[in-house]
Amino acid sequence: MDAFLVTGFTTVVVYVSLATLLHLQYGKAGIVNFGVVGFVGIGMYSFGVLTVTHQVPFLLALLIATLLTGLVAFGLGLLILDLDAESVLVATLAFATIVFHLVTTEKWLTNGVVGLGTIPFPFDFGRDTRFYLMLLLTFFAALIVFYAYRVGVSPYGRLLFAIQDNEPLAKGLGKPTTRQKLVFFTVTSAAMGFIGAWYASATQFLVPQIIGASLTFTVWIALIIGGRKRVLGGALGVIVTVALFDIFVERYAELPPDYAQQLPNLKLMLYGLVLMLVILFRPVGLLGERRVDRP
Amino acid sequence: MVDALVIGLLEAAPLVLAAMGFTLIYYLNGFINVAYAENLTLGAYFAVVLNSTLGWNFYLTIVPAAVLAGLFSVLSYLVVIRPALRRGVGQAEMIVLTVGLSFFIRHALRVVFGVQLYLFDFTSTSYLSVFGTGVTDAQTTALVLVAVIAIGFYLFIYKTGYGQKMRALANNRDLALVSGIDPTPVSALIWFFAGVAGGLAGIFYGVFSFVDYLMGWNLILIIIMIAIIGGIGSVRGAVAAGVGAGIFTAAAVLNLPTPLYAQVLLLFFFIVVLRLKGKGVRLFRMQARG
Amino acid sequence: MKLQLTDVTKRFGGRQVVNVPELAIGAHGIEGLIGPNGAGKTTLMNLIMRRLPLDTGQVTWHANGDPVEISRLTVEQIARLGIVKTNQIVQDFESLTIIDSFLLSLADSGFEKFYRVFSDKELRRQTEHEIAGYLDFFHFEAPNGRALSAGEKKLLNIIRCLLLKPRFLLMDEPTAGLPDEQKTKVMEFIRRKVAEDDLSILIVEHNLDLIWNVCEWVSFMADGEIIIQGPPDEIRGDRTLAEKYLGKDHV
Repeated sequence: MDAFLVTGFTTVVVYVSLATLLHLQYGKAGIVNFGVVGFVGIGMYSFGVLTVTHQVPFLLALLIATLLTGLVAFGLGLLILDLDAESVLVATLAFATIVFHLVTTEKWLTNGVVGLGTIPFPFDFGRDTRFYLMLLLTFFAALIVFYAYRVGVSPYGRLLFAIQDNEPLAKGLGKPTTRQKLVFFTVTSAAMGFIGAWYASATQFLVPQIIGASLTFTVWIALIIGGRKRVLGGALGVIVTVALFDIFVERYAELPPDYAQQLPNLKLMLYGLVLMLVILFRPVGLLGERRVDRP
Repeated sequence: MVDALVIGLLEAAPLVLAAMGFTLIYYLNGFINVAYAENLTLGAYFAVVLNSTLGWNFYLTIVPAAVLAGLFSVLSYLVVIRPALRRGVGQAEMIVLTVGLSFFIRHALRVVFGVQLYLFDFTSTSYLSVFGTGVTDAQTTALVLVAVIAIGFYLFIYKTGYGQKMRALANNRDLALVSGIDPTPVSALIWFFAGVAGGLAGIFYGVFSFVDYLMGWNLILIIIMIAIIGGIGSVRGAVAAGVGAGIFTAAAVLNLPTPLYAQVLLLFFFIVVLRLKGKGVRLFRMQARG
Repeated sequence: MKLQLTDVTKRFGGRQVVNVPELAIGAHGIEGLIGPNGAGKTTLMNLIMRRLPLDTGQVTWHANGDPVEISRLTVEQIARLGIVKTNQIVQDFESLTIIDSFLLSLADSGFEKFYRVFSDKELRRQTEHEIAGYLDFFHFEAPNGRALSAGEKKLLNIIRCLLLKPRFLLMDEPTAGLPDEQKTKVMEFIRRKVAEDDLSILIVEHNLDLIWNVCEWVSFMADGEIIIQGPPDEIRGDRTLAEKYLGKDHV
């Protein structure tokens, strides 16, 4: 498999993981997390700093990065999860902006815009290393999708739907709704950090641009297009956006050089346009509504 | 110490206008319009084009640029926002929609204008000394204009007939309709004013620093937060919060080593205020149709 | 097992809506709370259930052993103690089927962990019998679908509460909106539950026939105060009461 496709597919698979995690947060638990890239960023950069600056072994660094992300998510969740959806959106967006600025300005820690590298691979298979890393990340994505599916058919998933549907009624039945949302938010956000750490390993070199707002935006648009309440919504959305653009258009479409240079901007313009169109004309996304009597 | 305070206040003054305009939209339609960020950026770019490219004197660019910004706002309302509200798009989805609009416009601007910074071209610059700080006459004029326009807006909304109609429509749509207020022109007018306010804020903010495609996007979070802190639904509150934010920013710039800490502080402050206000309470119900 | 109210008061904007110096509920299986409109019955219920904060006073829960002061607890905590209230206004989960609602009530916190994603089969197996019992007794049009009519939603609400196996159940107008056969069924079911399990019930109702038929003890409330308590015949037969209140505001 050629190097470009491996990188492209790795990106796709990472986005599928993130979009499915966002599906869990928004589609299942009703948490409007606009700070996805903040958690990814914490995972990425803490992993990078640990492995590069402090020579911490791969797995230990991975563990620490994930736990750290979870801790931050827990703290943020405690503060904002019982607020209304708008406030959660604004607060998480502000949080992600803070992470971005933190990474950019705290040069002593993150090297700022100069960049942090080289982040090691977990294993060494010579020229095939990236390929096997891609397979591993695909496995993680599949695992996350599988978990999302199982949650949908479990008592826990039922509780999450109930909370999203009518939280006061759920409370009246004795359900500890705030605690459950907090736990779920912490776990899924920690997972975003986990994926971020692996993504850092895959990209090997970190610059703040990677964790800009367009990452959150891309994940969101993928989920909305695919269908936010559907387990495979994120996956489908990512294929229709990231895979389409980052692999096919960039590789196979013959564009005049002026356009090619503007491609990232045109891409985001198109994403914005499509997002508006989807919300206007098919807000449930391509996969449609979840049927009540089936997951 | 005083000069940092002065600079901080000057920088925050346009935000007051932006907060007012933003609050107007929230007041009327009940959702957060993230694309308002691009209202600021567009106002600034319109002025830049008139000033740098066409060579107009800066002061002459203010009115046309602001009007263009207002028209853009009305356009976005008619083409995107109103149809969405008519289809019953929910509050959270509306915000996501405006995020999409924001990305669309922002990156279109990036295609057109690139990533470079634009500065306004002043034919002559004289400095005033304010509390020992050098302030250009453009900056003073901007400050004065912001104050005048803010007061003007306030008076228009609270003291005139048309302003009353706007408030009536925002407060209780059904009652307003029954008393013969036609929603579309009044709504369009509200969006126009909000657009003008945003455009002016962008222009003046550009006077104090520079203009680039990210200008509005960088500011929108602060605007949203100060509007919410000030008590969305009250233009008075927005003004008070805007002024407060200016002072707050100035003090933060003084005492904190980096802007990062100021942002963290602002976020904490935002969260604290929200929690004190009565968490979980929806700040404003969504209007059924635009 | 009972609830005890002490010095409970509540004002709304200068008007005293509830003033109960002393009240004990739950000593009898099924109790009723009646009174004219605006007497404060629903407010009293909401105060007990902590849906409204008390201005003064305490609500103490005497279950097994130590009394627990419940006025400081959250809504969920009170429900977990076994004190549950059905809703007067119809409330439902749009995204759950009827059986889903049953399973939601029946699932205890052991099942509702984020990592227990294979446990639904086990839950269904454990609760099969009980769910079947409810489905047989009450007839829902589409148990695997959603509750369709307002009556079904009301019924579902009551069953959800019963499935929690509460020790104390407050019912706010439970039969309003139900067709007649369902009314009798609900009452019959409740009587059975009270006899079998360790359950006490307090019913607020305007349908006085229901109260006289079902309750062993009735409290009469007016203008925020408990005027009189006693067995149904006594309350029914009280002349002054009938003249002063029942005649005027009999619904």
